[in-house]
Amino acid sequence: MPAAISVSGRRVECAEDQSILEAFLRAGVWMPNSCNQGTCGTCKLQVLCGDVDHRDSPLETLTADERASGLALACQARPLEDTEVALRGTETGRATHLLRDLTATVVDVEDVAHDTRRVRFGLEEPLAFSAGQYVEVLVPGTSKRRQYSLANTAQEDKVLELHVRRVPGGVASDWLFGPVSVGDRVEVRGPLGDFHVPDMDQDAGEPMVLIGGGTGLAPLLGIARTALERHPDRVMVLYHGVRTEADLYDTDRLTELAGTYPGFSVVTVLSRESAPGHRSGYAPDVFVEDIASARGWSGWLCGSPALVEAGVKAFKRRRMAPRLIHREKFEPADRRGPGA
Amino acid sequence: MTTTQQPGKQDLSWLDEVTMTELERNPYPTYERLRSEAPLAFVPVLGSYVASTAEICREVATSPDFEAVITPAGGRTFGHPAIIGVNGDIHADLRGMVEPQLQPVEVDSWVDDLVRPIARNYVEQFEDRGRAELVAEYCEPVSVRSLGDLLGLQSVSSDKLREWFHKLSVSFTNAAVDENGEFTNPDGFTPGDEARAEIQAVVDPLIDRWIEHPENTAISHWLHDGMPPGKTRDRAYIYPTIYVYLLGAMQEPGHGMASTLVGLFSRPEQMEEVVDDPSLLPRAISEGMRWTSPIWSATARISTKPVTVAGVDLPAGTPVILSYGSANHDSGTYDAPTAYDLHRPPLPHLAFGAGNHACAGIYYANQVMRIGLEELFEAIPNLERDTGEGVEFWGWGFRGPTSLHGTWEV
Repeated sequence: MPAAISVSGRRVECAEDQSILEAFLRAGVWMPNSCNQGTCGTCKLQVLCGDVDHRDSPLETLTADERASGLALACQARPLEDTEVALRGTETGRATHLLRDLTATVVDVEDVAHDTRRVRFGLEEPLAFSAGQYVEVLVPGTSKRRQYSLANTAQEDKVLELHVRRVPGGVASDWLFGPVSVGDRVEVRGPLGDFHVPDMDQDAGEPMVLIGGGTGLAPLLGIARTALERHPDRVMVLYHGVRTEADLYDTDRLTELAGTYPGFSVVTVLSRESAPGHRSGYAPDVFVEDIASARGWSGWLCGSPALVEAGVKAFKRRRMAPRLIHREKFEPADRRGPGA
Repeated sequence: MTTTQQPGKQDLSWLDEVTMTELERNPYPTYERLRSEAPLAFVPVLGSYVASTAEICREVATSPDFEAVITPAGGRTFGHPAIIGVNGDIHADLRGMVEPQLQPVEVDSWVDDLVRPIARNYVEQFEDRGRAELVAEYCEPVSVRSLGDLLGLQSVSSDKLREWFHKLSVSFTNAAVDENGEFTNPDGFTPGDEARAEIQAVVDPLIDRWIEHPENTAISHWLHDGMPPGKTRDRAYIYPTIYVYLLGAMQEPGHGMASTLVGLFSRPEQMEEVVDDPSLLPRAISEGMRWTSPIWSATARISTKPVTVAGVDLPAGTPVILSYGSANHDSGTYDAPTAYDLHRPPLPHLAFGAGNHACAGIYYANQVMRIGLEELFEAIPNLERDTGEGVEFWGWGFRGPTSLHGTWEV
């Protein structure tokens, strides 16, 4: 009887007498495989639930112990019933903060730059997250959820700080640049996203470069402060790219941070005008002008898709290893993506 | 058997004109025509039948009516009993000798510690230069140093190991024969003979030592594993298999890495995807191995009884060369097979062979290539092909780019 095989949420029908590997490959699901005859072991996978017939799997390739622990050779095994498997070498079981639904109260709304506001939400109980993650806010009176990066460090867990850019006609903008007032209660869900500071044991204090476009600065503030507290001497450059001087905000806050941490510097970049004290152009290009080699550095990009793509290219041009490049893309508010 | 014309069959007299030089420069046009006209055909210059499609290669490789045989030039180069050309008990013993170290569980326990430092060392030698010839400076050295250290040949330089496989390769594929089946270029075996003499001069003293003092090296294990106490396998018995390693296993991971790079350079957007997400490397390498199969046409089978294959009657004792590099370009299996495409449907390919003589080192070789390319892209994510230099592929028995110039901003 035909049965189905599921992997990472994808379900594939396995025809009668078809190996798991064949069913996957015919459905366009990639998994490593080489010999397809049970001798090389490349296609070994883990059966999570369900049952398989190992057929001609040789004991040399798939030992009795391995069978007992739920391993199977995809090129030989046939599912005996609907079966769920996991591919080897893919990340599983990584610790993560629980996703929670919370009620928050608006405690502060502040105009910080042209069409840009800082909004603070108070929580009744603390939220565990990693700096750089985002939350979803249910826009009051609507069924729409909008994503906003947190500017907080993980210690600042009872008041969430969001940076919001006005988008004409946007449902969240209409609220946050309109009737929003202190004391409003809103539903918040979070934390979400994989753009966050590395876990402490993964952070050796390597140099970091962060590029934020507009309100893409928000998660970088949390990430930068966390990373500097951990390694006060680390080299870190933060580029804040905006259109005009009127779009800049939190410059004093960043300058103060640079006073505390000698390895930290801030570069403000204006793309549509020149002004004293600021660089002109596009932040990724300014990075390329400034940094001769980013080999061994980690890179953090948050902003429009165009900025993030340009940043990735700039980082690689300066030979930053792609695995150390972290990216968070967002569309302007009310389309999608965090930080809007 | 000097004519290729068979009554009532397709006229294959064009095959009389095919030369070894032509096959080594570019075998694809000849084999494309073979696949469409005669998937099993006698090719005079090779003095042998040739299987060229995926279906017929697989059929012959897994047929109970065939067993392994080494090609004549291969046998002349390696001697007997080479693991790739023997059957029955000897084959079982030799597979039993090499396979324990090559099991995935076993390979996983040491391959990263073995290969990654080697790859890092080689990339460090040119990463700040902004350009490199990646075949000679990276792909080949990473391949030979990794396997050399595994075998216990730490005392042999990477350049010497590269020289050995090049020389053995030239002789192994010196396949051309005349109408009497005699080699037309006997001098072509000189490089292989020279390499073998050098290899023995280096390896004999090591074997002497390992007989008395076993070490955790592959060759030491081959001498001792599965033998009664106080006994070792005879060195003459394992030397042909040492040569198999020193040629194929040394050369092919380098070929595979270099061909994968050339393929990726031909699709810059796919190159970028893989650089950004190294977890795509196994798939990229698999496609590279399909696209330009390193062991293009170097293995053979021989019929053990009269048999009909692809409509051709073969008497017992007929050798058939398996052209896996051609099978992997079979348009019956792959759309646009001449194009490298990371995203093509990931159907199985025959680059590692099939049947009980399928490559024993599949898992190991794939890990070497993966780690090698991971380290290259980690250090040089802005790698580009130097378009001022051409890329030339060479080889009929074994195939890969002869050089590959890379450039990057420093």
